[in-house]
Amino acid sequence: MELLQGIEQLGLVRLLKASFAAYPIVNALHIAAIGGLFTSVILLDLSVLGALRPPGGKAFIVLMRRIAFVAFAGAVVTGLLLFSVRASEYAFMPVFQLKLGLIALAGFNLLLFVQLERRGGSGLRLLAAASLVLWSGALLCGRFIGFV
Amino acid sequence: MISLRGLALAGVLVTAAIPALAHHGWSWTEEGMFKLTGKITKIYIGNPHATLDVDAEGQIWRVELAPPSRTIAAGFTEDVAKPGDEVIAIGNRSIDHNEKRMKAVRITVNGKNYDVYPDRVPPA
Repeated sequence: MELLQGIEQLGLVRLLKASFAAYPIVNALHIAAIGGLFTSVILLDLSVLGALRPPGGKAFIVLMRRIAFVAFAGAVVTGLLLFSVRASEYAFMPVFQLKLGLIALAGFNLLLFVQLERRGGSGLRLLAAASLVLWSGALLCGRFIGFV
Repeated sequence: MISLRGLALAGVLVTAAIPALAHHGWSWTEEGMFKLTGKITKIYIGNPHATLDVDAEGQIWRVELAPPSRTIAAGFTEDVAKPGDEVIAIGNRSIDHNEKRMKAVRITVNGKNYDVYPDRVPPA
């Protein structure tokens, strides 16, 4: 709790808390990053599920994975900034904890996917379907944070 | 390139995201004016919007104000009120009555009115 309140008192965080322009800009960047992440994840998962035959095949997959990682990093950085202004409040919100849990599961799911892909095992489609559900859930939870 | 199955799946995802948008602005509040009287327990003036926590007969209410710039422009800053002060909040209550939450258009602290949404304050 002290740590969370400490975060709220950091100089940069206080500026963000009181700013007219910076907060909406960070908020917009967070949405942009989520848009990139969500789009690339959906295209990747749909490719695995066979619902989409990407033009460029492997090259497209490589590009989408790169976009997904960069966008995820962007979402984490901007998300931490948005979190910081009311850290001690958000940290205890069930919907926020659920969102983090879903993201952690999605990350674990990705690890499984990569392992399975290397070994050439079956079950990739199941993991791709799980990925769609987990990321959609995380998105939905995120939308509720400001309103619950 | 995109199959019918892919489109259907995308449709389901988009539909699932729509209920979240319903909480924007005032749509989550009732139409009629609501009045809450109590003691301030917590003041937050900052993004995404300023809030007061108010103890009204033992129940803690969350009173949402305007975004910080607008709330400060209405004269309400951290210097004009402190926890323990009596507050009267006029505004719109959450449609969900289980939720002790409202969005204020005017708050009154120490005999002074702060109109955070002046255009929504009902005529006297």
